[in-house]
Amino acid sequence: MDILRGLWPMTIANVKSFRRNREAMFWTLAFPVIFVALFGAIFSGGSTRFEVAWVDHDGTPAAAQLRAGFGQVRMLELRDAAEDEALALMRQGDVDAVIVVPAGVGEAMTPGVAPRAPAALVLYTDPSRSTATQTLNQVVEQVVGAVNQRLSGVPPALAVETRSLQTQSISAAAYFVPSILAMALMQLGLFASIPLVAQREKLILKRLAATPLTRLTLVTSNVLMRLLVAAVQTVLIVGVGALMFGVTIVGNLLVIIGLIALGAVTFLAIGYLIASWARNEEAATGITSAVQFPVMFLSGIFFPIAFMPEWLQPVAAFLPLTYLADALRQTMVGGAAYVALPIDVAVLAVWLAVATAITARFFRWQ
Amino acid sequence: MPSPSSGAVIAVRELRKSYGALRAVDDVSFTVERGEIFGLLGPNGAGKTTTIEILEGLRKPDGGQAEVLGIDVVRNPAALKERIGVQLQSAALYPELTVRELISLFGSFYARSLPAERLIGELGLGERAGAASKQLSGGQRQRLSIALALVNDPELIFLDEPTTGLDPQGRRSLWEHIDRLRGEGRTVLLTTHYMEEAEQLCDRVAIMDHGRILELGTVTELVGRHFRDRTVRFESRAELSDTALATLRGVSRVAHEDTETVILTRDVPRTIGGLLELADGLGLEGLDVAVRRPSLEDVFLELTGRALRD
Repeated sequence: MDILRGLWPMTIANVKSFRRNREAMFWTLAFPVIFVALFGAIFSGGSTRFEVAWVDHDGTPAAAQLRAGFGQVRMLELRDAAEDEALALMRQGDVDAVIVVPAGVGEAMTPGVAPRAPAALVLYTDPSRSTATQTLNQVVEQVVGAVNQRLSGVPPALAVETRSLQTQSISAAAYFVPSILAMALMQLGLFASIPLVAQREKLILKRLAATPLTRLTLVTSNVLMRLLVAAVQTVLIVGVGALMFGVTIVGNLLVIIGLIALGAVTFLAIGYLIASWARNEEAATGITSAVQFPVMFLSGIFFPIAFMPEWLQPVAAFLPLTYLADALRQTMVGGAAYVALPIDVAVLAVWLAVATAITARFFRWQ
Repeated sequence: MPSPSSGAVIAVRELRKSYGALRAVDDVSFTVERGEIFGLLGPNGAGKTTTIEILEGLRKPDGGQAEVLGIDVVRNPAALKERIGVQLQSAALYPELTVRELISLFGSFYARSLPAERLIGELGLGERAGAASKQLSGGQRQRLSIALALVNDPELIFLDEPTTGLDPQGRRSLWEHIDRLRGEGRTVLLTTHYMEEAEQLCDRVAIMDHGRILELGTVTELVGRHFRDRTVRFESRAELSDTALATLRGVSRVAHEDTETVILTRDVPRTIGGLLELADGLGLEGLDVAVRRPSLEDVFLELTGRALRD
């Protein structure tokens, strides 16, 4: 009655069964990757022009000259704004970055006057849009470098300070990567119901019951196998996002891994719940499809929930995928919050607890 | 419960199990001795599988007692499972895993296990060791499931309908493997609805129907208990009327099975002598006469009024 006895061989056996099942491989690994590639390509129509809001706190001719200098960079489109307005515009996604010229720049740039410290231009960019951020940093640095050089003979008068600002409008690819990872984790869990029901139907579970292998060991081996696949899914999806669309992960890796594990286990519990309910393999397949498609479209995977018709929004508020996708977008790419992260975690935990409790009560082994 | 005789590996007393109104197992008692092949015989739905699954620790009885290898099957199923080998009726295996992988996997569930290669060799699965279980033929699959039943080197093996679904050749081949288990000193409890299988393999059989054991003993005992008669059979001829046949010496009954006439007799030589004389007198030629001892099949028919296979 040792829980560990047989656990590792059973986990390996599960992994082998999974790997040799082409259908499972396609739906859990290839399908989400295709999704990321396809949607990323369709929606990130690579514009190389950046709209930048220009905030001038200095107001001296030198600052105006600086603006003219930036205006010559063809990649940038400047737009004057007050600082509050500029930041609001960026949050809404109307501009890609904000440059703030602090008071005192004119004085610092005056020839012959040695500044005590370089006057700092402030550049706001969105780090989840790594390519845009990099390009803007470079452009600004180049312009500033050129100005500094023209003022040669004096110590550097200008430097650039970059600041992060999370925006509503992370790039399309940055939106899709965590969303589709969440969708893939859902599929991984829900589709677990089908082999489980098949194993019951074909009396594999009964045959195992005639050995000393405990049910806890069997369930644990299934969870371990699915977590392993979840890790592979994550690497694939994030990898495709990074290589094809330059999506970088900005959050705390441990938090992200924890959320992925929580999501995988929650949907696995829901998969087991389906298996408790389904009488045979066909029913399990039917229920799984019937559940996954609406959930996929109603959980803000493809577009933010705010874009959904109002009468549908309460449905989204009920679905676990909404919260997993939201949590992953917040932590992985700094996406805008649907609800605060602790609420995402709490909702998923409740789903996990309820699904586990119902399954424990109603699951039939034979 | 009475202490079973020293050789008993299974002792069952007054076992009962109902599903709703259906009494699947109804007051069943028997013992199985060490080293014998014991057959539970009966048609589908007789209660054989329910009985065997209670003894395997897979089902809880409603009443009665069952001790297997000295272990109470209700109180300590975990200890029991460590020591028995089990083949379930029509249970499949992980379809994607190979023969070798499955044997190693099942071996890992037990405190001690036999090497996979040895079992593969013993059950003649060498050529298919790398094949996925879904690619095996029916006979190979049954041999694999016996290999899995042997993986913990058990003293006692349960085989539930081991040859169902096999062709006659596959059945005979499997019989040899089962027979060898007895040679290795193991005890086997098997269920079957093939009379021939029980006659070939079993030291003792219990005939079950409607959840009850109707008869128990060696095949010879059972047949002797019910029939002193032998049967004489031949292709029916219109010229040989039942009334004429009934007057032959020793004949107790005349019956028909398909195209054959069956004569039950206590005195085979006299009956045959009379039959041949009768045929000669009528000018019949090429009468193909066979004499047969009644079989378990006949015993079952006698006991239940139905044939076994359906």
